Amino acid sequence: MKKQYAVYLVLASFVIIALAAVAGSGRNTSDLPSPPAIGTTIDDFKLPDADGAEHSLKSLTGKNGAVIIFVATKCPVSNAYNDRMEKLAQDYKARGINVIGINSNNTEPAAEVKSHAGEKHLTFTILKDDGNKIADRLGATRTPEAYVLDAGGKLVYHGRIDNSQNTANITSNDLREALDELLGGKPVTKTGGAAFGCTIKRVS
Amino acid sequence: MRFRLAILFVGLAFALEGAGIAAPSQTPSAGAAATNRKPQPGPFVLDGLNLTDPEIREIDLDGLKKLLLRDPKDTRPLLVNFWATWCDGCREEFPDLVKIDNDYRAKGLNFLSITLDEVSDKSRAADFLKEMKATMSVVLLNVNDPEPAIHAVDEKWDGALPATFLYDREGKLVFKYFGKMKPAELRAAIDKEVGSKQ
Repeated sequence: MKKQYAVYLVLASFVIIALAAVAGSGRNTSDLPSPPAIGTTIDDFKLPDADGAEHSLKSLTGKNGAVIIFVATKCPVSNAYNDRMEKLAQDYKARGINVIGINSNNTEPAAEVKSHAGEKHLTFTILKDDGNKIADRLGATRTPEAYVLDAGGKLVYHGRIDNSQNTANITSNDLREALDELLGGKPVTKTGGAAFGCTIKRVS
Repeated sequence: MRFRLAILFVGLAFALEGAGIAAPSQTPSAGAAATNRKPQPGPFVLDGLNLTDPEIREIDLDGLKKLLLRDPKDTRPLLVNFWATWCDGCREEFPDLVKIDNDYRAKGLNFLSITLDEVSDKSRAADFLKEMKATMSVVLLNVNDPEPAIHAVDEKWDGALPATFLYDREGKLVFKYFGKMKPAELRAAIDKEVGSKQ
């Protein structure tokens, strides 16, 4: 009887090892921290802006919510969205939703973020996320990448701004639709969307 | 995930077979050499057209799915790299990818390079490939909505470039890398696949 248990034990460990091997073969170390699920409340955090002044997420959130957008100075896709992001900030500020930019690229220092915002006429606050801690916490991987939080800090949308970097080809205004639903007190129907963008340059 | 992909591939295989799929935006010679494929290892052939031709061919969502499904007779492991000339990390890793292509082609690796450059930037992409002395198969993915294409490749991928995927002989995704890949890691993954029995 004891011997039988030992055999089972050996067999079971083989199965576990085999399963681990199968599970491991499809992944690799590039797998990044997962983004929080839709509906999760995002904990408050503090980051400095390009001038070094600290802001908390709470202090920057409007009375109806906030849009966090991971941005870049050098990424052509992010740059293709500069005017759209500024217009979004202007349009929704009046409706109680503030746009907050976050630059997590370790290749783009605060001084560059500041001069870039000046050149491109970006008036919304852009925070500098040294060490990509907030990008890690939010599971952000690319620029531009947007997160919509409601007034209570609950995540209601995570994904692209729209379907095309070329304004002439926009057919799906995902982010604006989510914001309008949020403001209308409706549940957000499309809670995200994928688009090609530049990988966030994390510290190695 | 892998299981789901396998189902996707099988499902698509049946769908394509049933529909007698028409390849997107193709030239009239499409399909001409369907029964006359070159022996392995050879270039990537889609509808009889050699994708290593200097002219970068455009594909849409259906074309992408078809390429990922491959010719059932072509059982080479497949490496797919998504890039664009506007992407720094893509340009930086490209010389290593060219080396990998040169080192593994004779060992039976099939390499498909997919650019996300705009159609209007096609010549810029072609110039870059020339400068890199790249000879792998290259296509330009031309889709108005990128989401279905991104998710056809991997549900976990959000479209950040570069992105690299390795499929085994059965078409199962066995390795992926989002961002600038580490050549040693990718080579180790390829070694496992080209070394496996057919």
